[in-house]
Amino acid sequence: MSSFYQIKTSLSLTDKFRQISIYLLGLLSITFFFGLLSLYSVADANFNPWAKNHLIRFLIGLFIFFFVCLIDIKLILRLAYPLFFLNTLALILILFIGTETYGATRWIRFAGISLQPSEFIKVSLILCLAKYYHSIPVIEASKISRMVIPAIITLIPVGLVMIQPDLGTSIIILIGAGSIFWITGINYKYFISAFALVCAAIPVGWQYLHNYQKERVYTFFNPERDPLGNGYHIMQSKIALGSGGLSGKGYLEGTQSHLNFLPEMHTDFIFTMFGEEFGFLGTIFLLIIYFSIILVSFNLAIKSRNSFGKYLSCGLIFLFFSHVFINIGMVMGLLPVVGVPLPLISYGGSSMLATMISFGLIMNCYINRDTILAKEGFID
Amino acid sequence: MKSKNIFSTVDKAQTEKLISRRIALLTIGQAGLFSLLGARLAYLQLFKHDEYSSLSDENRTTHRLIAPPRGNIIDLSGKILATNTENYQALVVLEETGNIYEALIAFNSILPEKQINIKKILELAKKSPKFKPIKLIDNLTWDEFSKLNANAHKLQGIFPSVDYKRYYPTREASAHLVGYVSSLSENESYSNPFAKLTNAKSGKIGIEKLKDTDLRGVIGNKRLEINAFGREIRELNRIESTKGQDIHLTIDRDLQEFCYKQFDGISGSITVTNIHTGAYLALASAPAFDPNKFYNGISNKDWNFLTKNRYKPLINKAISNHYPPGSTIKPLVALAALEQGFDPNKRINCDGSYEIKDTSTKKGTKSFHCWKEKGHGPMNMKEAIQKSCDVYFYTVAREIGINKIAEVCKRFGLGEKVFDNFVEELSGTVPNKEWKKKNIGYNWMIGETLVAGIGQGYFLATPAQLALATAQLVNGGKKITPKIIYENNISKENNISPPLAKFEHLEFIKECLYASTNEQGGTSYRSRLTGNFQFAGKTGTSQVRRISEKEREEGIIKNEDLEWGKRDHGIFIGYGPVNKPKFSISVLVEHGGSGSGAAAPIAKNVMDFIFKNKINIDQV
Repeated sequence: MSSFYQIKTSLSLTDKFRQISIYLLGLLSITFFFGLLSLYSVADANFNPWAKNHLIRFLIGLFIFFFVCLIDIKLILRLAYPLFFLNTLALILILFIGTETYGATRWIRFAGISLQPSEFIKVSLILCLAKYYHSIPVIEASKISRMVIPAIITLIPVGLVMIQPDLGTSIIILIGAGSIFWITGINYKYFISAFALVCAAIPVGWQYLHNYQKERVYTFFNPERDPLGNGYHIMQSKIALGSGGLSGKGYLEGTQSHLNFLPEMHTDFIFTMFGEEFGFLGTIFLLIIYFSIILVSFNLAIKSRNSFGKYLSCGLIFLFFSHVFINIGMVMGLLPVVGVPLPLISYGGSSMLATMISFGLIMNCYINRDTILAKEGFID
Repeated sequence: MKSKNIFSTVDKAQTEKLISRRIALLTIGQAGLFSLLGARLAYLQLFKHDEYSSLSDENRTTHRLIAPPRGNIIDLSGKILATNTENYQALVVLEETGNIYEALIAFNSILPEKQINIKKILELAKKSPKFKPIKLIDNLTWDEFSKLNANAHKLQGIFPSVDYKRYYPTREASAHLVGYVSSLSENESYSNPFAKLTNAKSGKIGIEKLKDTDLRGVIGNKRLEINAFGREIRELNRIESTKGQDIHLTIDRDLQEFCYKQFDGISGSITVTNIHTGAYLALASAPAFDPNKFYNGISNKDWNFLTKNRYKPLINKAISNHYPPGSTIKPLVALAALEQGFDPNKRINCDGSYEIKDTSTKKGTKSFHCWKEKGHGPMNMKEAIQKSCDVYFYTVAREIGINKIAEVCKRFGLGEKVFDNFVEELSGTVPNKEWKKKNIGYNWMIGETLVAGIGQGYFLATPAQLALATAQLVNGGKKITPKIIYENNISKENNISPPLAKFEHLEFIKECLYASTNEQGGTSYRSRLTGNFQFAGKTGTSQVRRISEKEREEGIIKNEDLEWGKRDHGIFIGYGPVNKPKFSISVLVEHGGSGSGAAAPIAKNVMDFIFKNKINIDQV
């Protein structure tokens, strides 16, 4: 246990700082700026209550981003399991002391700040899995015996989030974990089997879904079925996007959004209002920005010469991607409505912090791309 | 330990490759899914833009109809017969109240005499959006309304408000003629474009019904932006409603009201026309109803009172009821006789009855009696009209025949509706041989010709018809077009048509009518007017029951001894001023006993009123 790490190079703080990708930072800032514009518009051209907080959170997030960038990757590796453990503990704690909003218990109040541990578990689980796969030989990843532990550490948070209840986040967690499994080179036959298993489990799992979740699924397959109930939101969302047309109705001029036809405009449905006001040109531009963030991040990820960095970065990138895809797909009626925020744009402190931490970690992995990390066995 | 390391290095390149391939696949997958998002965006925002655009507009805009003010109904000189007046009401807006229950309690304490049903309002409030005003009460008096305004500070969320309701200042006096409006019937809700308006009303009788489409105007329309909850955000554009046309009647309001007042506790009608233009100046029917009561739906109590009343206040007795014209037909019969070459100076002896052969009776004859049992003695035509001798007219009628009488009566306007389109108007009956065969199924009998000669039997006429016939008898035989609605462009074509009868015949009839009222022995002599202006006319008593032979032998029961519904109707037709005729009149007093006793004195009052106040009334 004495030779915990093998250190190849030691970087100074300035060296690290210089390597921070200005492209990534720029793209993240542009995205955030769109979020700020949208939240200002949602509040009928008001800085309060959302845009102001969003700005403050981004600034805090930026600070944390730099902090995460600059800390020692070895510290991250070492803290991976304890962080996951603490985060899981917070999820359990929520069951007892959580704050209930809209019928779901997701928030924990701590020192005057409300935090949503489920937003952070997405990141800490990926961290945990990255460390686990880093610690085992690659060819062993496909061994059944090596699958038990990852399966358990994935399913515990999934289960805890599911009973909050928060279907969207639990799906995101599963997808994030799945991306790690994929990258680690687990035999693709397992993925096919898992897919088959999920399909088989749907009829069984269906019974455990909450009524509102079932309704959302029904509505997804047929939004006109209940145009005044659940289908209403998705119909109105499509109307808002469609009526935006090529160039949009103009900033602050969205009728669907400003006249309250849209649900949860400042959170999950913010893309709709953006699309209504800025039109196809705006939405496509935003999609390109998002995709650029992903491409830039991948470019950083593959530079990493240690598997921990690769796993962690790719897992976090895919996590980010799945938020974007599910959120936008959902407001366009491509996917059922599950509560997933649009990163950097939706109003929400925990989501903002988790996103900034993710990109801090990706950046950190890039900065420490040449650091050789010792494999620490999870089970020795 | 060492072997493991070697094992690792051997596979290192291979595993790196695997991981890189997996990462590449993942990236490609993401790019693919991003393309899917882009394609979906293009589909929604470009391809389906038009469809969603119109849906968005439908979402955010709504049309509200603007009710037009109904046109006024005015009399000849512009005085109001029907208009719109302010209706004071109170509304509550839920979101403006601190506590709706307390607000309603406060309301009830301010207007204790107008208790509102709090429970009902609360239930209504639960169902409607909290920004939508709910009507608490309407038809407040000005005092109550002021009280509400003065106490507005105690009534958080309750607002005094004003809208319009129909108002008839003359109330009963012109109720039948002007009519009333009330809520649309179920049938109308399909055909009437106003059915889409809340609180839509339509005319139900009279001018309000006849001219409903002109009076109601054109609905306006405003386009509003609304939010998802239906709250109005702003008005986008508006097309103002167009007020309904005013309907200008030929009626004179003062005269109409004066006429109505003649019937105090009795029922009947008065019709006054301008004999030159055919304009009806008064068309009063009594008793009547208050048309104001129908606006918000008449109460059951009031409705029962109107429908169960023996005087039938709902019926317009000037046009919607017809009566045997009685002796008022005699001028027309006399005219028919003159046209047949009957010598007006020939004297016919009246001994109280006229007999014809009738094998069905024991005596082999059937008697037709004169109203004067002892008989009038020898009568020429003028005296027969003046004294209303029945036997004379039995003789004349028998001589000239029913078809001639019918032809003259029809020529002067009996037997057909006076006005166009008044659904409630009756056409009366002018019987002749064909009519009886067709409608009764039997052949005409000679006795029926006799009673037709004195306006009894099958004869029926409305008072409005009698006034028209009289007008045409005394205006020189000019055919006039009856009208109740004032028209600016009076066509002179009336002058072109040939006179209805020979001038000298008509002059002779006028002499007879003059004698009837203004010469001693005339049936309406007691009701004559002396002075500059005189009037002339003919009384009539129309029998509503058959007097049997038995009753005749035992003595005819006097009208006063009969129950009301069996008494004779009293009728009077006339014109004035005598020296320069301008007006014709018909007065009918239902079950009034006799024309000279009941109707002629009323005609005198009305004529006196006209001569004093309305002699120069505009020629229309």
